[in-house]
Amino acid sequence: MSSDAPAINGECERHGACEDGQLALEHPEDQLIMHLERDQTVAETSIPVPRAALGARAVAGLWALRVFVVIVSIMVIYTFVDQLH
Amino acid sequence: MAAPEAVASPLLGAPALTDEDAARSHDRSRVHRARRQRKRWYLLWLLVGPGILAMLGENDGPSMIAYASDGAQYGLGFFVPFIPILFVMAYVCQEMCMRVGAVTHRGYGELVLQRYGRVWGWFGAADLTVTNLVTLVAEFVAMRVGLAYFHLGSGVAVALGLVLVMFTLSGGRYWRWERIVLGMALFNGLFLLAAILVKPHVGALVSSFDFTPFPGGSFNTLLLLLASTIGATVTPWMIFFQQSASADKGMTPGDVNHGRYDTAVGAVLAAVFGIGALVAGAALLSHDGSGIQGFAGAGFPEALEHVAGPAAGTVFALGLIEAGAVAILTISASTAYAAGECVGASHSFNSSPRSAAVFYAANIAVALLAAVVIVIPGAPLLSIALNANVLATVLLPVSLVLMIMLANDKQLMGSWANKRSTNAIGIAVIAFVGVCGAAYGIDSFLQAIHLLGS
Repeated sequence: MSSDAPAINGECERHGACEDGQLALEHPEDQLIMHLERDQTVAETSIPVPRAALGARAVAGLWALRVFVVIVSIMVIYTFVDQLH
Repeated sequence: MAAPEAVASPLLGAPALTDEDAARSHDRSRVHRARRQRKRWYLLWLLVGPGILAMLGENDGPSMIAYASDGAQYGLGFFVPFIPILFVMAYVCQEMCMRVGAVTHRGYGELVLQRYGRVWGWFGAADLTVTNLVTLVAEFVAMRVGLAYFHLGSGVAVALGLVLVMFTLSGGRYWRWERIVLGMALFNGLFLLAAILVKPHVGALVSSFDFTPFPGGSFNTLLLLLASTIGATVTPWMIFFQQSASADKGMTPGDVNHGRYDTAVGAVLAAVFGIGALVAGAALLSHDGSGIQGFAGAGFPEALEHVAGPAAGTVFALGLIEAGAVAILTISASTAYAAGECVGASHSFNSSPRSAAVFYAANIAVALLAAVVIVIPGAPLLSIALNANVLATVLLPVSLVLMIMLANDKQLMGSWANKRSTNAIGIAVIAFVGVCGAAYGIDSFLQAIHLLGS
């Protein structure tokens, strides 16, 4: 752990206006824990982000992408195996 | 995800902190101090890394041999302007990766898995593992080609590659890993030195910017050239690597501009060094590419020695060793990030091997597996190497589509989401890559089943 790590400091730290260890609780979303933003700590990044709600067009596009990938992959693998012979 | 060795924070309401947090916080303290003291160049020095590593990592052994082969067979025309265009495309893609990593603090693999479901998450990881494995085989072969110039065998290539992987992993810190690999990557400039040593005709170099002469040959050959050159510039591992490395480095939205400089500098260096390999190869054009025999231009350093002297051959051989070695480190790292992210295990160079066993094991295992392949007698190395870039190109549109979706995700990115102009360029890049890759895949398949003549 960094010996010069502040306890908590906030947005003012980012702009160089406050000293290490100062609290900036007016903007909790910008709060720093040690020198990390709250949302970059392991505890926070361990929480999964929610599943995206995709529209019908996006879902159809992703299905088309799946079909494209499967077909082209089969072709490349076949060509690769054919080259082995 | 496991949060190993967490210690309770003394701060009210603050999350428990891990050793990984502490190490990252230490790096960030220097960034904050540099920013506070307005030390611009020092701040830039602290924040560069993932972009340069992704770009120079992709100037790997097979890519540099591909550029040199292009030069030896077709000369400078077309490729001198085409390579910078490809790196502009690479910049557009990699800037998105860096921005998503800095804003979300999460890797590409885990975001795809969590936002778009297990099918795409695991497909991306499997796609990456397969293409990385075949590419790593080609990297070891490139090192072997370079070492062969100094009368050293494949055993030395395997030992050197694996020792480098183990050595760079041994520190337990992202910063240490990044700086070692960054230092090694700068030796990619050896290809520029090789170009200078062959004494190119400056007038011919300048006049080649008009895209002529266009490469001749069959339609399939042209598609192969396009697919393999694109595959030498933009690949799935770069996407995984730069996003995960940006998050692992601890970049934040406030660092995005520096991340852009990092990526742009990497793109410029990679384009210049790639053109260097092309120019060095073009020295063999008047000799009909003679001396380049067998797999992957194994005779390049010797051929250059005959044409431009021993210094050119030596520098090119050293360049191949460097290009292979750096790519082994970055590609193994991208595999490790993807493995850790997809199984939900700790995935950081800032974690200890005990805390991030999957990450470290995947990093070593993929390099070890590739090393084993190249020492198997009779292994189809030629076919593996030829198909590595093409397979990466064919599967690249999937990674790019999901990347552009992530970069447009307002819930994740907020005001950092893509602008219309970025989307327009990104979609054009995906279309170009998709058409070239699919066209080559289909054309080769039709030839393989004898529905089309070669």
